Amino acid sequence: MASKLLPQALIITPRNPHQCPQKNMGFSTRVSGLPSSFKSGAPTSVSRVPSFSIGLNLNPMFSAPPKRAFFVRAESNPEAEGETNAVAEVTENVEEKEEVDVEESTQVEAEVQSEEAKPPRKPRIKLGDIMGILNTRAVEASEKERPVPDLRTGDIVEIKLEVPENRRRLSVYKGIIISRQNAGIHTTIRIRRIIAGVGVEIVFPIYSPNIKEIKVLKHRKVRRARLYYLRDKLPRLSTFK
Amino acid sequence: MAAGLASKWSLGMRFYSLIVGRSLLGGLNNNLSSLLGTSNGITCSHSLSLQQRTFIQMRTVLKVVDNSGAKKVMCIQALKGKKGARLGDTIIASVKEAHPNGKVKKGKVVYGVVVRAAMQRGRCDGSEVKFDDNAVVLVDKQGQPIGTRVFGPVPHELRKKKHVKILTLAGHIA
Repeated sequence: MASKLLPQALIITPRNPHQCPQKNMGFSTRVSGLPSSFKSGAPTSVSRVPSFSIGLNLNPMFSAPPKRAFFVRAESNPEAEGETNAVAEVTENVEEKEEVDVEESTQVEAEVQSEEAKPPRKPRIKLGDIMGILNTRAVEASEKERPVPDLRTGDIVEIKLEVPENRRRLSVYKGIIISRQNAGIHTTIRIRRIIAGVGVEIVFPIYSPNIKEIKVLKHRKVRRARLYYLRDKLPRLSTFK
Repeated sequence: MAAGLASKWSLGMRFYSLIVGRSLLGGLNNNLSSLLGTSNGITCSHSLSLQQRTFIQMRTVLKVVDNSGAKKVMCIQALKGKKGARLGDTIIASVKEAHPNGKVKKGKVVYGVVVRAAMQRGRCDGSEVKFDDNAVVLVDKQGQPIGTRVFGPVPHELRKKKHVKILTLAGHIA
């Protein structure tokens, strides 16, 4: 008897921890409603019996899942009332009847538990969040390969770039960051420098795999986010050795 | 007939609102320009002062950065592109200013390769490059430079356009 009863306990008790106590009581009362000496909550080592198969055999008994759910709820209420009566009459007879009933309530319990497990599920990803999520993922992937230092307007940086046309050496670009545009994976910085008497501004996407190294050399105190005024000023201010 | 009248009336209303709007904007502009001195409200004026650099087209005056003898040329035709030439393109130009004794004289029609442009040129890796001025290197019909030296930086784009000679002559590759 114990060997037949306890497999049901095996299924039930792992799921039970987050069950609301009423259901538990309902189930136990349902079981103990029948005259039996079954004590739920006594998990001991038992030979594994495929109780799901037992449950499956009972499918023809239940026509539709919602009906099953209703069946459970309908069951639990009268059973709660019958609890006081049921506890009193605990005998060891009518094992097969009790087994069948245990099985059907197992099936019912399984249904109830699968319903109970649904509410704590992941929040839905809204349409508007998708680009943000993709961008953060791409940025994380790029950061793993090469961490990007904190770059701000006014930093004097040196960038080592691998150019597909100039395959032999890494191109080096030095200059002051005159602006930073944040756009997820296409976050760019604009570097300005006077090269051979001519001002050159280059926009670099900082998460690009072509950029091999970014190094901050110095920082100039600026009181602006975009230093476009440097274009009109003396070349001396944009010259960096 | 009623519908026709209504449409005419709505047209009139639209014109009126346009005029009203323009005068309002004019008033606003006046306010802003006076505010500029007080270093406030930079936002709107900033967009007005930001120059949108465009292509090199007819009548564009460019600087010559080789030692061919010319100093300034004026573009008379951009050989490729409907809107104009960009960095790395060839143009036909007329020499407007030249050194007294040089290989080219004033008034000569020459070909040139744009080596520096104020309009940004996008590269395949997502970066963009722009220079502070427009500059050209005079070439002959085959694409070989007339001069023997090139001053200032030149961009990578010339390699793709097969102007390797200019790249080798250049002092600095941007």
